Amino acid sequence: MSDETRLLEVVLKDLEAAGGKKSEFKGMVSVNFERKTILEAVGVVRDHGFNHLSDIFGIDYESYPGHQGPRFTVAYNLYAIAEGERLFLRVDLNETEELPTLTGFWRGANFMEREVFDMFGISFQGHPNLRKIITPEDLDGHPHRKDFPLDETATLFNEGRFLDPAAFRAGMMGRDPGLTGWAGGARKGVRSGNMSGVDASQKETE
Amino acid sequence: MSIPNTGYDVREISRETTGSFDTRHMRINVGPQHPSTHGVLRLVVDLDGERIARIMPQIGYLHTGFEKTMENRTYQQGVTYSNRMDYLHGFGHDLAYVLSVETLMDAQVPERAQRARVILTELNRIASHLVFLGTGILDMGALTLFFYTMRERERLLDIFELVSGVRMNYGYFRVGGLSTDLPEGFESAVREFISEFPTMMEQYATMFVQNDIFVNRTKGVGVISQDLALDYCLTGPSLRASGVSLDFRKAQPYSGYESYVFDVPTSEEGDAYARFMMRFLEMEQSLAIVKQALDALEPGPIKDPDRRISLPPRHELENSMEAVIFHFKLVTEGFHPPRGEVYVATESARGELGYYLVSDGGSMPYRVKVRVPSLINLQSLEPACVGALFADMVVNIATMDPVMGDVDK
Repeated sequence: MSDETRLLEVVLKDLEAAGGKKSEFKGMVSVNFERKTILEAVGVVRDHGFNHLSDIFGIDYESYPGHQGPRFTVAYNLYAIAEGERLFLRVDLNETEELPTLTGFWRGANFMEREVFDMFGISFQGHPNLRKIITPEDLDGHPHRKDFPLDETATLFNEGRFLDPAAFRAGMMGRDPGLTGWAGGARKGVRSGNMSGVDASQKETE
Repeated sequence: MSIPNTGYDVREISRETTGSFDTRHMRINVGPQHPSTHGVLRLVVDLDGERIARIMPQIGYLHTGFEKTMENRTYQQGVTYSNRMDYLHGFGHDLAYVLSVETLMDAQVPERAQRARVILTELNRIASHLVFLGTGILDMGALTLFFYTMRERERLLDIFELVSGVRMNYGYFRVGGLSTDLPEGFESAVREFISEFPTMMEQYATMFVQNDIFVNRTKGVGVISQDLALDYCLTGPSLRASGVSLDFRKAQPYSGYESYVFDVPTSEEGDAYARFMMRFLEMEQSLAIVKQALDALEPGPIKDPDRRISLPPRHELENSMEAVIFHFKLVTEGFHPPRGEVYVATESARGELGYYLVSDGGSMPYRVKVRVPSLINLQSLEPACVGALFADMVVNIATMDPVMGDVDK
């Protein structure tokens, strides 16, 4: 056990020398880093034997009571298999800021970063394939942001299509021909070959 | 915000296939409705002749927004959502969730509840591996074993139904203990299963371990080296098949796993055969744990006596005003953990599973992040499949054992 504690202590010494701020809660150690130095910090931690990247995830602190500083936090959950130690690295960042990708260290970071991108809209520089992973491609917005509408709100999609709950229910009861409140023209997906929706989105991206 | 076109999206894929004509690679679509994808997994595969040049999982068909929903429910209500993610190993998800909340609350779980949790989680692990074995070998064309494994799984589901009232989506664990005590007849039902299951395992073994067709289709197929497994963040039995002995029941014991004697089977091969055998051998170990836990199961309390967490006993409501107040507060608004963030890693049937909870001091979690094993393990299809035969892709999907509810959340 004493060796294990020593590993974490050694790592923490190195990290604090590199500008990290340590915090601890219920035995869980996390170290806060500046956005610019995070890649370096991950490299240090990895060289010390934290060879398993458990997870990468975002937290939106927008409505957290008493929170000050940047809106988002991205946390890296790292684990040293041989020593059985866990360590969290955290970066605070604003909506407009980007992070470097970890796919150079672990190729498995691919899906994790895509999920953060999908759910929070945080981009990762140098990611080989940064696109949405779970939500529909034309869904506008990032569901895990705290300002994403909840309950029975009409959900807007990129192409002008949106899901209107009342119309959706009416369609299910057979009182209305449409299941979605399609905003213009024929509803996508009813007739094959009608690609009006795709054209609209292409114009938008150009 | 527009989506950057850095990779392949569905529109681009269709545009490419219709627009340009690539004679080297053929792009085909597998799923999302295909029996061998174990749910709604969709794969876009580039083929170079019979060999796979590129494999791109397209997921999200089963996205339900469990994390966001749990952020808008009280902590105690969370157990109705956790088990719906991995519907084959629901008790594992329930356990991971309540462990995180209990760490946040400093709850003291009584021994009987701990033992009951271990018994149920391990039996559920066996049930999950039985589905894996049956459907995995079904994908290779061996129909018989499926009926055998489903027969035994049915008996396990009967036990779970006895305990929780439902066959899946149990929601039986509570923060601080269990919802009710184990019912009468539980112990004898489990003992009967324990005594009969080893002979069933022998039957399975004769059906696939020495089966020439099975061995030829899995030995040396989809090899993932130890380095690649760590590179792709693989966990669970698939990682142990590649020679890394990482099992959170041993590495960071929870729920009293340190008091049970069991082995963590590992293999150096890293191929599909090893991944099959890991799960098969794990069932034996799970059975040993269940046996030990059952022998040590003593009558006693099943909930944390702390009134901040557990409901007061029914009889107290009749003559204690204080009990009524606690009952009212817990039912209407739930408890308020201190501000902070916790994560407890557990070993589900598929790999590392943990709930990262952010508490803002309110009665609902501020943020729930589930580290689901299936989603991250799915990436390992790439090292396993690229360069391999298309027919072996089905074997590789089966041995990764993804549950799509666990992938899409």
